[in-house]
Amino acid sequence: MITASLALGHRLSGAAAYQQLAGAAGRAVAPAAPYWRHVVGPRSWSWDLWAWLGVGLGAAASAVASGTFRIRTMPDAGWEEVYGPSVARRWAVAFVGAALTGFAAGVAGGCTASLAMSGGAVLVPGAFLFMAGMFTGGIPTALLVHRRRGPR
Amino acid sequence: MTVVYPLAIGLTFGWLLHKAGLARYDRIVGVYRLRDLAVLELMLAALASAAIGVVGLGALGVADAVPVPTPALGAALIGGVVFGAGMALSGFCPGTIMVGVGEGRLDNLVAGSLGLIAGALAYGAAWPTLAPRLARLGDLGVTTLPRLLGVAPWLLALLLAEVAAGVLYLVVRPRRGAADAS
Repeated sequence: MITASLALGHRLSGAAAYQQLAGAAGRAVAPAAPYWRHVVGPRSWSWDLWAWLGVGLGAAASAVASGTFRIRTMPDAGWEEVYGPSVARRWAVAFVGAALTGFAAGVAGGCTASLAMSGGAVLVPGAFLFMAGMFTGGIPTALLVHRRRGPR
Repeated sequence: MTVVYPLAIGLTFGWLLHKAGLARYDRIVGVYRLRDLAVLELMLAALASAAIGVVGLGALGVADAVPVPTPALGAALIGGVVFGAGMALSGFCPGTIMVGVGEGRLDNLVAGSLGLIAGALAYGAAWPTLAPRLARLGDLGVTTLPRLLGVAPWLLALLLAEVAAGVLYLVVRPRRGAADAS
């Protein structure tokens, strides 16, 4: 998939679709800000968003086919043991975690698919530092969070 | 074609990631807890095959200027650390949010999407002051390891595939039984 995308002159990216959405909001709120006009820009607006939509539809097809599609508000496993049953807490942590990845994708210029995978495949040096960083940041965070045991 | 290709690639990607269980919180966090390395397994296999695939494309004369990000080294590292922390908290990365949405996860659809847009907006606001500083942290320009080291791309791609296979065989595979049993 990554190869196919690169062959077509694009990189597969999860973060880009959200950057495009944020860019649309950014251009509406601050039309003069150069980041939204020139850096994110409307250049690959349609490609990224169609791919993003495709991921949702592909996952939905797989979920329906395997009988695992179900509307839910919480993770199925691993969450409640640590954070408890509060839906508000899940949504707050999901928001903060997602915001961190969104900000970081801007800092590094890419995400798991576009930088670590696509960049790694092309042997871009930054891709391997990004991967090293992911584990340097992720392992302590996960271990710290999961050190707390039992419901609170 | 700007609709058909990305939609088709997205569909396949979403289907595969869902099959691999990458919409699950415990699966993503399991990597960082060093408990469930399925995601690492998939990433290494994808990386190895894509690296070989890109060399093949290069040999065919396709994709000479591949549009991947080439961040300054420091920016990639700092971004990676923050990204990993965010992933370990939320249990998804930007790409797997929609995989979860496809499975019916409203926490992904609402909290995840809004969070990502908020994070991207925050970076956009900080960009004028932040970007010049980040760009100074070990900027190599638009380059790749083969070009930097003066080695043939296919040789490094093969080496990368070998390393990925080695990690799969020595690190991931021995832990697999335990992860499946739990």
